[in-house]
Amino acid sequence: MKPAPLEYLVAETREEALAALERYDGNARLLAGGQSLVPLLNMRLVRPTAVIDINRIPGLNAIAADDGVVRIGALARYSALESSATVRDRLPLLARAIPFIGDRQIRNRGTLGGALCHADPAGEMALCAVTMGATLRIAGHGAQRELSAAELFQGPYTTALEATEMLVEAVFPAAPGTVATVAEHARRHGDFAVVSVAAAGLPGEGEIWRWIRIGLGAVADRPLYARRASERLAGTRLEPDAIREAARLCLEDAEPASDIRASAEYRRHLIPIYVERVLVELRQRRAGADPGEAHR
Amino acid sequence: MSTRARLTVTVNGRTYTREVESRRLLVDVLRHDLGLHGTHVGCEQGVCGACTILLDGEAVKSCLMLAAQVDKRSITTVEGLAEGNDLHPLQQAFRDAHGLQCGYCTPGFLLSAVAIAGRGVVLQGAALREELAGNLCRCTGYHNIIEAVERFLRQASGARGDG
Repeated sequence: MKPAPLEYLVAETREEALAALERYDGNARLLAGGQSLVPLLNMRLVRPTAVIDINRIPGLNAIAADDGVVRIGALARYSALESSATVRDRLPLLARAIPFIGDRQIRNRGTLGGALCHADPAGEMALCAVTMGATLRIAGHGAQRELSAAELFQGPYTTALEATEMLVEAVFPAAPGTVATVAEHARRHGDFAVVSVAAAGLPGEGEIWRWIRIGLGAVADRPLYARRASERLAGTRLEPDAIREAARLCLEDAEPASDIRASAEYRRHLIPIYVERVLVELRQRRAGADPGEAHR
Repeated sequence: MSTRARLTVTVNGRTYTREVESRRLLVDVLRHDLGLHGTHVGCEQGVCGACTILLDGEAVKSCLMLAAQVDKRSITTVEGLAEGNDLHPLQQAFRDAHGLQCGYCTPGFLLSAVAIAGRGVVLQGAALREELAGNLCRCTGYHNIIEAVERFLRQASGARGDG
């Protein structure tokens, strides 16, 4: 398992990367962390004419809090996100999701932008992006545009990016005081999710939740924001009836497929269980209890 | 553009300059171009961790990087651990705790554990197993590997005087 012959270019700036993408006219791939791309090269599932290394572009890995949002550069590595106080304090959903990704070596190299552009329907970063309603900033040759996470993901391993565009930054809404949790069912520790559920919410007066956002991973051809369940839970106390109703709505909105990891039927069995677990855990976290890592 | 790349890389303190095929994986350059056979090739898809090396002090899988990417960077492989015939304290701990059987996965485990020590943390039990989850061993059942690494980390923190 070795990559097919390819050209290797280092882009020192964003402009160089975009010019190279243009030059290869769809036959080049950007190399960020490489933790998904290089296995695909090794297995020859992708055979680009050229690989454009963007790891040396300065500033593309920045993590910054800014007026109600957290901006994360496409090259920010999981290990940097894992140790970032900004992420821990303002974007707890991301902090909760990262331990589910791969292993230490993978997290030392893998990047947020790479994960989003890989668009694995089971991917944790894609799940966080749709759950929080992140905005993606895209650079093209001479033009910039923005996409919502829901617009970015078009299907398995398929994004709305043109072959000559690059993702430069993800902008996550980040309300102070947000509580978040993630649960995932996987065949093995660190393996890809069979079902994953993410939830974030903002506590209000008393035991009321001002808003709650739920996302579902690996249950459709792309990660889903569970809009109806989320809207059902806004303004509730996450009482058992509301949780059961949300779990039912999530199951209705999911379109699971059978694949090598699980059957569609098994996924349908798991979805309400994991939605209920995540919402109970969210309530516990708000109360200050740490439910631990029981659902890993 | 060419399908060849020129790189200058420091491995275990020694600087090498080579021209290699752009598609060449880092692990293959270490083994075949530099003759450092201690870094092992297992799955070639980033699962087993046998090819783990340190890139500027961080544990990474050398089957998931193109060699051209490490131009002007610094690498440590298992060959860089011992000093002459004196085993690195971690290698000695593996020997004392019977932390290996066939030995194929051992270089990867050693580098992952050296990286943990480099971060100055003393991990034990479940937290240590989690941190080493990117290295697979098909012989030992892990118990003695964890024991060896725990011993080494305690020793390393004692030597720094913070243990």
